[in-house]
Amino acid sequence: MSNASPIWISDLTHYYNRQQSMPTLDDINLSIPQGQLTALIGRSGCGKSTLLQMVAGLLIPTEGAIRIRAHTVTKPSAKWNMMFQKPSLYPWMTVRENAALGLVFAGTYNQKKDRVEELLDMVGLSEHKDKNVQALSGGQQQRVALARSLATEPEVLLLDEPFSALDAFTRTALQTEVAQICHDQNITMVLVTHDIEEAVAMADQVVIMSHNPGQIVGEKSIPLAYPRDRNSAEFAELKDELFAEFETIDKAKQDKPFERLEVVRPKSTAPSVEKMLQQAS
Amino acid sequence: MSTAQVALRAEFFSQLSADFKKMPLWVQSTINSVIGMSILLLMWWIGGILIASNPDTEAFADFAPGPALAALWSLIGTEFLNETIISSLERILVGLFWGIVIGVPLGVMMGYFLAVRQIANMPFQFLRMISPLAWMPIAVLAFETWDGAIIFLIVMATVWPIVFGTAHGVQRIDPNWFRVARNLGADGFQMLRRVIMPAIAQDVFAGIRLAVGVAWVVLVPAEYLGVTSGLGYAINDARDTLDYATLAAMVVVIGVIGYLLDAIAVFLIKRYSWHAS
Repeated sequence: MSNASPIWISDLTHYYNRQQSMPTLDDINLSIPQGQLTALIGRSGCGKSTLLQMVAGLLIPTEGAIRIRAHTVTKPSAKWNMMFQKPSLYPWMTVRENAALGLVFAGTYNQKKDRVEELLDMVGLSEHKDKNVQALSGGQQQRVALARSLATEPEVLLLDEPFSALDAFTRTALQTEVAQICHDQNITMVLVTHDIEEAVAMADQVVIMSHNPGQIVGEKSIPLAYPRDRNSAEFAELKDELFAEFETIDKAKQDKPFERLEVVRPKSTAPSVEKMLQQAS
Repeated sequence: MSTAQVALRAEFFSQLSADFKKMPLWVQSTINSVIGMSILLLMWWIGGILIASNPDTEAFADFAPGPALAALWSLIGTEFLNETIISSLERILVGLFWGIVIGVPLGVMMGYFLAVRQIANMPFQFLRMISPLAWMPIAVLAFETWDGAIIFLIVMATVWPIVFGTAHGVQRIDPNWFRVARNLGADGFQMLRRVIMPAIAQDVFAGIRLAVGVAWVVLVPAEYLGVTSGLGYAINDARDTLDYATLAAMVVVIGVIGYLLDAIAVFLIKRYSWHAS
């Protein structure tokens, strides 16, 4: 079942509190393909980060469910790991100690020391392993966070605008590297971003969200080979198409700011847990 | 003084100050420390002369640096001094131990839960302002031994700075550190050991440093109580036997040990501090 969707989101609706007239997330149905990078894009306030935190198990939806493989997500796990906007490294630890932390929590660091070294080499921090993380630049810190997320060998890596605080050069480099890692290591990734160029540069498919209420209004696949040439005509065309989609949403929202948009999307076809277990065996 | 002399002197001092600023920082700070201690010794010495020259006070002339330091020299290494110091340190350490055992969990609760902070803040600020010595009559009633009473006073002195230091540290924890650790699969104990404790260590030690300062100040008068050991007792005893040289020597010992205790606390704060310098 290597090509089956590892993540199923079915009939998910969320209110932060019951006084809200509109749900933060409204009837979300989505399946994320295995080993690919899916971008969730939308304006701030569309609930994309909320949705991602739910996939991570950091928030529980009011209604509906999220399944990763045969597990219903109810709590965080190192198997579905999240990278945040800020690296949030622990300043009293070295680069190596930070990267190894997930393995230390799991009690497997002694067996998997080599993995930490390899990952730090891979993200280009070979010479900084013993430094305190406060001595690193923002980009290097986010690389440590990436190594830390990958160390526990997650099946799913969730990216919550992890590059938005970085300078343009570092951002571009990391976007390319992370998309590469996704495909090389067959890790399913979900990226939340409001940067259309980032989505086109990294994602295999893009899910477009609208706000008030937060809903999925479109999906688009990005059929470009990696590594992607940001100056190519196809790249520019895809970007323009996505921008056009947002203009359409904005126009619709201008007339009726607090109404659901009419979206014709197939309902979730999530198989039952039993069926998935059967397939697996 | 001629204008030329004044100008020459001004130049001499500006040259001196320029030379001083060129020295390494540690040399500058050492020189300044030596100057400070010299001023203190000088004032002590002048005080001694004034006491000795006044017929009303000349009986106390042994307070002067000469006799006091001679008495100190003869006391160093004696069993009497060692036992005196050890009894005082023991009381401080036991009191500090209980201050930490009570204060750190309270501080963690206060830092973590807003409601606990709101409930505890007023009463704790109130209790904090009461001199620990004011508890003395109650302590004597409540504890069977003099040692118990003294240690209670030390605990009353140490617990508040530790509570507030710890609470401050917990409040400063970046919420993202919890989120990341949970996300990486940390359980409650691992969260405490790998995230909370190292995050607040420097603030706890800063609280302990303040606590040690207050406790050391409180200890000496507390040892005027019934006990027959410790630095406070030794001072009281020297006064009763009119041995003013020993009394002054004990004051020096108290100052030196207090300084060393503070230096240990400063070392621990630096050791566990994670702020980039």
